[in-house]
Amino acid sequence: MEKFSEGPGNREETSRLSSNGLTLNIGPQHPATHGVLRLVVDLDGETIVKCTPYVGYLHRGVEKLSEHRNYMQILPFTDRLDYVSAMSNNIGYCTAVEKMFGIELPERTEYIRTIIGEMSRIVNHLLWLATHALDIGAMTVFLYCFREREKLLDLFERLCGARLTMSYTRIGGLKNDVDEQWLKDLYEFTDEFPMRIEQYETLIDKNRIWLKRTKGIGVISAEEAINWGLSGPTLRGSGVPYDIRTDMSYGVYDKVKWQVCTGKNGDVYDRYRVRMEEFRQSNSIIRQCIDQIPEGPIMADAPKFTLPAKDKVLSDMEHLIHHFVLVTKGPQTAPEGELYVATEVPKGELGFFFVSDGTGKPYRMRIRSPSFVHVAALPRLCEGELIADLISNIGSIDIVLGECDR
Amino acid sequence: MTVNELIKKVFFVEILKGLALTLKHLFSPAVTRQYPTEKREPFPGSRGLHALVRDPETGREKCVGCGLCAAMCPSRCIHIYTSEGDDHKKVVDRYEVDVLRCVFCALCVEACPYGALVLTPHYEYSGYTREEFYYTKDRLLENWDKYMAGPRGAEYLEKFWRPKSSDFGVRVESHMEEGAKS
Ligand code: SF4
Ligand code: SF4
Repeated sequence: MEKFSEGPGNREETSRLSSNGLTLNIGPQHPATHGVLRLVVDLDGETIVKCTPYVGYLHRGVEKLSEHRNYMQILPFTDRLDYVSAMSNNIGYCTAVEKMFGIELPERTEYIRTIIGEMSRIVNHLLWLATHALDIGAMTVFLYCFREREKLLDLFERLCGARLTMSYTRIGGLKNDVDEQWLKDLYEFTDEFPMRIEQYETLIDKNRIWLKRTKGIGVISAEEAINWGLSGPTLRGSGVPYDIRTDMSYGVYDKVKWQVCTGKNGDVYDRYRVRMEEFRQSNSIIRQCIDQIPEGPIMADAPKFTLPAKDKVLSDMEHLIHHFVLVTKGPQTAPEGELYVATEVPKGELGFFFVSDGTGKPYRMRIRSPSFVHVAALPRLCEGELIADLISNIGSIDIVLGECDR
Repeated sequence: MTVNELIKKVFFVEILKGLALTLKHLFSPAVTRQYPTEKREPFPGSRGLHALVRDPETGREKCVGCGLCAAMCPSRCIHIYTSEGDDHKKVVDRYEVDVLRCVFCALCVEACPYGALVLTPHYEYSGYTREEFYYTKDRLLENWDKYMAGPRGAEYLEKFWRPKSSDFGVRVESHMEEGAKS
């Protein structure tokens, strides 16, 4: 920062102020940065000349820690990456490990995972909309979004006992089954939810202040968005119909009708529209899944990798030994090699890369988190724009620093 | 700009619509809760403070000190000290949970083959010192009496102490054989 030695009020100083830039440090404790993100911005008047993000304030060493935990124990860590949509991370991690072990999931599990994955998307986008609107100045939307979010969190709590850090999926299955009443209550929620989306839109969609703050702000073209490695709604806002769910590599997205939502202009408003459309798509996916969900087992037939049934453990010696080995050492028959599996979490592409040496623990685990890539693209989005728009830009790329710093 | 748009712009139509919505909500019942005075009952199986199951027959803990829960715990917060008893049986001298380190994942419950450990729905505990959160065996057994005794505990173990044979469907038998081989 330029050091101004004399006090204010000096005429010469004032003229120097207007011609020289001002360096401003925003964060790491700033309400609008969605976590502990620190930005150093060089300003010329109100225009941002240069923006440098500093990350790492929330680094907990998840990747290193995972090298000393067996595959089952890593699951709770994935909750704490993107704590807003923990369920999606659980699914992403388990999908990756199952691909590595070659586990085929039962159909019911696939359906339940799709349902909770989409619920998690709604929860994430609700929190995103709430905080994004609050940043821009619309307080009411925040309260309304939290009302609906609460209902979904209650459903999560009934399902697995936790509201935020779920740890619900297991390698080769799920912690426990859903019951009829739960599905019925979720169905009721989906009946009501489209009306709620309309309410949010009544509040902000055409609001002239909202439009002024979002339209034409933070524009990024499709080509550039791809080059910056953006993913998820942030990429789709620029008109690129890229969604890993369409690969059909996990879940039952091939058995339900839905479409990938895209924007056109790649500005903050279009990214907002994409997420609003995703609300409707997720809602409809959940409804179709509940209609189609079959009966059946929820754990895969993969005895080498899943904990044996509790009722067998106490009556059968082999099961007990197997249980001991799995818990203390992890699956001993993991294949050797390297593997990268990506899933579509609400924020974008969450990928897990494993190097396995055949023991019960990963030799190396690397997480490709969407937030990290999005933070990297932040300077591109906000340089040349006004400082006031920095906040709407941060909101529109939907970052969570827990995931960014890992 | 058409006349229609102009009218909308001049009369703040979209803002008035938004305000009408908020006004409507003013008269609908409140969805918030006045927390300390008005409490929400957690759902069964909510993952809160730990408890050690008290065996109704012996009146002592069900735990046999196998140490699987401690091995499974990703945050390494369970400490177990055992010794040899009279008839060469393992005796659990100390069983301690450092609750401040716990992440409440309930993997320890799943790891315990005897169903001797549960997470209670109790979530309101606070204190001034770290020692208060270092739960010893006696305090953990006390938690069971306070929050889980009776049908609640059985219900919890039924739903959350998983997987069970039914979760694997019909293929339980093959599971047994292959499990033995690995
Ligand atoms: S709940 Fe998880 S972190 Fe807590 S003691 Fe059990 S295994 Fe450890
Ligand atoms: S796993 Fe169960 S029986 Fe073994 S030490 Fe832990 S609580 Fe006791």
